[in-house]
This record gives sequence, C-alpha cells and structure tokens, in this order.
Amino acid sequence: MGITFKNLFILLTTLVSSGFWLGYSWGSGSDANFPPVSHELTAEECGSCHMAFPAGLLPARSWQEMMKTLNQHFGEDASLSPEETAAITRYLVENAADNPRANILMRRIASGIPGNTAPQRFTETRHFGYLHDEVPASIWKRGKIGSKANCIACHTRGESGSFTEREIKIPKD
Amino acid sequence: MKILFLAASLLLVSAPAAAETPQQILATYQQQAGSASAARGEKLFFAKVTSAKGEVVSCTTCHTDNPKAVGKTRAHKAIDPLAPVANRERFTDPAKVEKWFKRNCKDVLARECTVQEKADFVAYMISVK
Repeated sequence: MGITFKNLFILLTTLVSSGFWLGYSWGSGSDANFPPVSHELTAEECGSCHMAFPAGLLPARSWQEMMKTLNQHFGEDASLSPEETAAITRYLVENAADNPRANILMRRIASGIPGNTAPQRFTETRHFGYLHDEVPASIWKRGKIGSKANCIACHTRGESGSFTEREIKIPKD
Repeated sequence: MKILFLAASLLLVSAPAAAETPQQILATYQQQAGSASAARGEKLFFAKVTSAKGEVVSCTTCHTDNPKAVGKTRAHKAIDPLAPVANRERFTDPAKVEKWFKRNCKDVLARECTVQEKADFVAYMISVK
C-alpha cells in the first residue's frame, strides 16, 4: 500500500482534528470553567459579602433552600425583598449544577450529591473535597485565605469563572 | 437630533436610583427621630454585644475600629469604608442604607435599629474627618 491521496487525506484530517481537539481541551480550558454570574441583581446581591458564587456550584434544590432561608444565611441576615428573592432564585435554578445545559464539571458536582440532600455549602460537596484534598488545614487558615468560600484568594481568575490548576497561586501568609 | 436628545435625557433620568447626599439621608432620619447625635452614634459603633452564641460582636468586628478603613466580611471580602470622607458612595442611596441597617443591626444587636440609632450613626459617620 503506497501513499495515495486518499490515505494522505485521512491522515491529515485526523491530525488536524486531533490538534483542534487538544487545543480545545487544553488551551481554552473551557471544561474547567464555572460560568460567572451573568444576572446583574444576583451578582450585586450575592457579591456584597462574598464572591458571587457561580450558580453551577450547587444543584437547584440547594439554591431553592438557601433562598428560602436568607434571613439566617450562615449566621447572618441576608434577607431581600420578595421580588428580588424570586428573580435571583429563578436565575440560580436555571443555571444550577443540575440544569439541562450544565457542563461536565457542574454535572460531576451534581452527581456527587445524594438526591435527598440539599447542601448549602458547595465546599462540603464530594467533588469539591476531591479537588481540594491535597490542601492541608494549615493553608486554609492563612490570613489571606481565611475561608474556603474565599475562592479568589488562590484561584486568580476565579471571578471570571476560570478555576484551572495552572491559574492557582496560593498566598504565602 | 431631537430624538437623540430625548433618549439621552431619558437615560439621565432613569440611571441613578434616587441619589442623595449623606446630609440629605441624615436629615430624613433626624426629622423622624427629632434629633441626631454624633457622640451617641460613635458609642453605638463601638458598642460590644454578646450574641446568643456567646460571641462578642460589634460594628467594628467587620468594619474595623476606624470608619475610614477598609473592613472585611466574615467570608473575607473587602468592605468599603463607612465614613463618607473616605468613600463617596456611602450614604447616597436610601434603599441601600435601609437594607444594610436592617441586616447588620440584626446581626450585631439581634434586633432592628431605631430611627434614633440610625440618625445618630449617620451623624457620627459624617462627623468623621
């Protein structure tokens, strides 16, 4: 079997398309992303005390439960008007980890959560634990981190929804 | 051209949501309370309260004991200064002021603040130079 145009064509197409595929999965890191909050009211209200966490970090039932208990939000009063509560709930549910358009990372989070539970802290989900299991307690306690909810202390591009490993910079103190 | 003008003026009217000055916001509270005392406001700001959980809390827990300094929430996010002299946005949106008094008074005092306390608090913050 010599080199025919047909073989050459197949070889080239395979090379080019695999290059595209690698570029896609390595270069853009798009499957490592949790889209940041794109709803203005949600970004403003949820982002006043902590980073406005991407809706894709928790399943819909978790958000629904959270939005019903805002007056006791992790020990603080974060209550909103009924209209604001409804609008934010709608956005969070539509973009939750178990929404039909969820990406692979969101689906991994959702599938790791038992169906009869509605966790309120994404840092307590199995997938978060799996991805952070090499981080010792001493690092979480560093002054510039302080809380597991402080994503952007280490994930330098977290606010744009990107959490890839190469963007991590752990503060020394 | 006329339409452009109209569109521009509509934008101007609808953009800033009832912007006021800290003095206007103070005046409203003062009118309702009958008085406003920066000294009482200062006391309120530094007052330490023991919560039901036995935690000692105060406005200064998150806002630091310097109203001109950047504070930090419990989730470690920066809080812009409270004193208008250090933060021009502070006390310019009545709805925001009410929202945060409601939440934070409950967090620290386990009850809502009175109009008197709000008047005193804003008076103190404006007095910080």
